[in-house]
Amino acid sequence: MDTGSEPALLVSSVEHRYGAVVALSGVDLHVAPGECVALLGPNGAGKTTLIGLATGLLAVQVGRVAVVGGDPRRATTRRRLGVVQQQMGFPRTLTVAELVRGAAVRAGRPATAALPALVEAGIADLGSRRSAKLSGGQRQRVALAMALVGDPDLLLLDEPTVGLDVTARRAFWQTIAARRDAGAGVLLTTHVVEEAAAVADRVIVLHEGQVVAAGSPSELTAMLPDRTVSARSTIDAAAVAALPGALSVTSDGGRLQVSAVAPEALLRHWLDADPWLADLRVEGATLEQALVSLTGPIHQEVSA
Amino acid sequence: MTAVDSAVVPRTTDERSGTAAVLRVEIAEGLRAVLREPAALFFSVVMPVMFFSIFAALFGDAPSPSGMSTAASMLATFGTFGVVSVMLLNPGISVATDRETGWLRVKKVSAAPVWATIAGKVIASLPYALAVISALTFVTLLVAGPVISVGTWLRLVVVLLVGALPFACLGLAVGFVASANATTAFLNAILFPMVIASGLWMPLEILPGWVRGIAQFLPTYHLAQLALAQLTGAPAAGHVLALLVTAGVTGAIAAFTYRNLRI
Repeated sequence: MDTGSEPALLVSSVEHRYGAVVALSGVDLHVAPGECVALLGPNGAGKTTLIGLATGLLAVQVGRVAVVGGDPRRATTRRRLGVVQQQMGFPRTLTVAELVRGAAVRAGRPATAALPALVEAGIADLGSRRSAKLSGGQRQRVALAMALVGDPDLLLLDEPTVGLDVTARRAFWQTIAARRDAGAGVLLTTHVVEEAAAVADRVIVLHEGQVVAAGSPSELTAMLPDRTVSARSTIDAAAVAALPGALSVTSDGGRLQVSAVAPEALLRHWLDADPWLADLRVEGATLEQALVSLTGPIHQEVSA
Repeated sequence: MTAVDSAVVPRTTDERSGTAAVLRVEIAEGLRAVLREPAALFFSVVMPVMFFSIFAALFGDAPSPSGMSTAASMLATFGTFGVVSVMLLNPGISVATDRETGWLRVKKVSAAPVWATIAGKVIASLPYALAVISALTFVTLLVAGPVISVGTWLRLVVVLLVGALPFACLGLAVGFVASANATTAFLNAILFPMVIASGLWMPLEILPGWVRGIAQFLPTYHLAQLALAQLTGAPAAGHVLALLVTAGVTGAIAAFTYRNLRI
């Protein structure tokens, strides 16, 4: 069989339970070589479980998970895998170069493979630094170098850009895009929706263990509310959510954001209900709001 | 499935050389951990030497019941204390820490076997155990001069290092299930009573009779007696048997907890 035609990741009819709690049910997805797929969903949607299955950390209960056609529970399969986890826990006593050399050897590569990976991740100058002295952004780039050093066919990135500034994010995704263009499949989870829209070829929305939507970022926004109405209001979010045309409401520092299908009707009723309505804005819906109206309860607090 | 499986071609030519390379990396990481942040092992190395110096000053002149030089017998008992504390604490606490920080998960999702990590931690602890014996030997030489031959000393070292492996298994078993803090507390809580009741600090002869009764059931006692037998030539088969039983039990517990390892 031609390896090139094998999906980088294939997940078919997967169900996963923790005792009585269903984490995933009937999940099908695939990542083709040279494709970047973003996995979106609120906490508890099953993203971490899915990553756990794809990395071989969890045993498949029902269905099939294959990395380049192989079982990720097998070490030989995991050689095709590069993983950036949320919590990498580098030993404080090791230097960056030692960490990446170790990752090379664990991936079945010579330790000398570390140098190009350090260069690729943009940390060639950090080689002799102890991991305890790294900033959050530097740690993520070390994690990236460790994921790239095995020359993987599938990259699994679990919230990889948390804590990175804009410049670092851009550099991170440029590196990933180069790998994707060279033929690696990429599956990432992120809660930064604009980022997913910018870097992913396809977005898969996971909610309560099920795929509730999948498509290109533009397809996903097209099938969802077309407008976001936001304003400072004296009536509460639940009351606004009950107004005609409102799909979902988020409140963000005293400001309510409403995803709406018919903003005109919504505005008429909202202005009637709240004479002190201020700072009104009507915008095109972003993927963030699309996600909320797809998966969220009618009223969600946005903490950030 | 065969066609699918054949797509997964190992990339290195030799799987075994790959595993050996992984083991080398794990040992190097374990050695560096102690070398670069020695605070963690400070007590394991310094305490036995400190106690040794104090007790050598107190009892060094006392006649030894076996007729053997007291300094020599103390080298065997304090050597047991030092080696056991390094081998019991270091691998166990290290693996508990790796579980807590997520570092063990990084290894688990890599293509390298997790057992290589575990083995690396045990092997990397051996040089520090050897360092404790060497420090004790140095103090002995200062205090009492050369009390045993080089050949006897080498036999003593080998007995202590090999005999401490069952304790490493016990430390790992705890480290596989408990947090780093709990592992440290628990292992110290079993180490010190065992050490005292086995006559490793003060000779059993000056301890109450009931302590001697307990000592028979402690692996540290049998390791110390086996170490002493290297100096005296006393029969040691019973002690070897006791240590083999200990190895079987702690090995089985470690294997069981390893199977249920929460990463």
